[in-house]
Amino acid sequence: MSAVSADLVEHTARFCRRLRAEGLPLGPGDTLDATRALGSVDLVDREDVRLGLRATLVKRVEDAPLFDALFESFWTGPAPVPRNPPVVPPDADEDSEGPASISPRRRSVHAFQDLEELAIPAPSSREALGRQDFASFGEDELRAVTTLARRIARRLAARPGRRWKLSRRGEQVSLRRTLREALKTGGELSTLTWRRRKLRRTRLVILADVSGSMDLYARLLLQFLYALQNAFARVETFVFATRLSRVTDELRAPGYRDALGNLSDRVQDWSGGTRIGESLSAFLSSWPRLVDRRTVVVVLSDGWETGDPDVLGEALALLHRRAGRLVWLNPLLGSPGYEPLTRGMQAALPHLDVFAPANDLASLEQLARHLSL
Amino acid sequence: MREEIQRIQQAMEREGYVTDRAVATAVHLSMTLGKPLLVEGHPGVGKTEIAKVLAVMQQGDLIRLQCYEGLDATTALYEWNYPKQLLHIRLQQDGDQSVATREADIFSERFLLKRPLLAAITHQGRPPVLLIDEVDRADEEFEAFLLEVLSDFQVTIPEVGTVRAEARPSVVLTSNRARDLSDALRRRCLYLWIDYPSLEKELRIVRTRIPGIDERLAREVTAFIHSLRRLKLAKVPGVAESLDWARALVVLHATHLDEELVRETLGCFLKDEEDLRTVSARLDAGELPALASPVA
Repeated sequence: MSAVSADLVEHTARFCRRLRAEGLPLGPGDTLDATRALGSVDLVDREDVRLGLRATLVKRVEDAPLFDALFESFWTGPAPVPRNPPVVPPDADEDSEGPASISPRRRSVHAFQDLEELAIPAPSSREALGRQDFASFGEDELRAVTTLARRIARRLAARPGRRWKLSRRGEQVSLRRTLREALKTGGELSTLTWRRRKLRRTRLVILADVSGSMDLYARLLLQFLYALQNAFARVETFVFATRLSRVTDELRAPGYRDALGNLSDRVQDWSGGTRIGESLSAFLSSWPRLVDRRTVVVVLSDGWETGDPDVLGEALALLHRRAGRLVWLNPLLGSPGYEPLTRGMQAALPHLDVFAPANDLASLEQLARHLSL
Repeated sequence: MREEIQRIQQAMEREGYVTDRAVATAVHLSMTLGKPLLVEGHPGVGKTEIAKVLAVMQQGDLIRLQCYEGLDATTALYEWNYPKQLLHIRLQQDGDQSVATREADIFSERFLLKRPLLAAITHQGRPPVLLIDEVDRADEEFEAFLLEVLSDFQVTIPEVGTVRAEARPSVVLTSNRARDLSDALRRRCLYLWIDYPSLEKELRIVRTRIPGIDERLAREVTAFIHSLRRLKLAKVPGVAESLDWARALVVLHATHLDEELVRETLGCFLKDEEDLRTVSARLDAGELPALASPVA
């Protein structure tokens, strides 16, 4: 490995910062690797430099087009670069904006920024939450929903996992421990030690649409969210219309009324328009650690997307890859003759594991089947 | 091009692995930086082959860990050899050693079954190449466990203590993208994406791997497979399928493709019933031009 000049180190660091700003998940270690890689290639050969940097800085193929575009503008000459090069040539952004080449993560970052700008705290729509709307819930209904939520929680709670632990009544003999015990009796296997699988914990993430078109179902839905949140510890609940809010803590309230009160303080765009794709992207970029293979993600929405359906498709594709299961509940699916023809629904369908109705209690009952991994 | 990279490329070609600069550079960097190489790409583009060629080039052993769902530490790392332990206890029954001594005895390295990961760490002699194949098929918990092993190449066995690698093995991980690997694992590795090869490169691969093949046949086979990759198929044929097919055709003493021959041998490169139907229909409609006008 040959030494790399200070100028080159600095330029590499700047390049890494730029890539990071575009959403590539790079840490300080990667910058170091990139520099070391440059010490191991032919610096006069531009292709060598490109391939060396790409092997160290691109971690998934979707990021490669972005890398290539930025490399073009950043590493202009074959030789090490002049001091203080223009940080971003104006056309760099256009290059990376090519529709085919955008990685989902990158787009989600953008979506989130847009969302921040769009966030309109509209006092009038806050009114729309209308305590009178939801406050008129029937006690019986709530009880039924609660029972259902408990049943779902039970299904999610206990599942034998992959790891083992010793246990008095197990499903398998732990040979390791049994042999150790046998030493005391001269190799006689007098006591068998058992082991069983550790329980596997499933997590549930619910993303509920509370936009205007969902008003009809909002009451049932909120009851369901409330009941589930309080029946099961590993639920995270989010609601969205034009922007996403995490309402897990708001829903954890001693009574349904309290929960509604908390919600109306927290959520500001009830009954607004719907930007499903951007909300999901925002979820992915702000809560990336919530979703893994043991997570069931449930999207509750009618699919009336007013944003870009492509954004929705991309966000769902990413969710689908990360989550153990992706479920979309659509209240409209319960009505006869409904076909998921909206652009939003069309973009969503290829990425879903389960597409099911959610318009009444009966359909929510059915849901329990889909929720265990 | 850096001389070492060129040498790697030449060495790989000598071993019958037709490659390009991107692959050679990634392999070179993985060796000089001492980082694992994560290779992603469609099935059948020669990901696993990289590790095999690397092992031959470095004259080291290839240790392979095939991943699957449910793979756990006892099959990947180590397991105690219980029958042997039991026998040993029986044989020592009348000895006057204390329980503690005997316990230390049977939980010593002699009674350890080394699975691939431990075998790679304790390997003596030239550092081996550790191939972790299809890591995307193992579950996420295993991935986290793998991260631990890959970060410092040491393993702690409660009864024995910490085992550390004397010479770090070269590590190659492959993934078909059945699921997304964690960012943590990606960060630990150098990354290489292998796409389907260009027509010229694939032709070169077919010629290299099947030395006696008729020139016209080789051209027609690669051109036909290339036209298939443009169709929407459930299982797109990879390079491995091109080679299988070409080998089959050589056995059949074919010197060129014709429609009947293609129909008879579809099974060599199409592994899905739906795909078979799609391609047959295209053949009926005469829509696969590679047959009508062979590439000159």
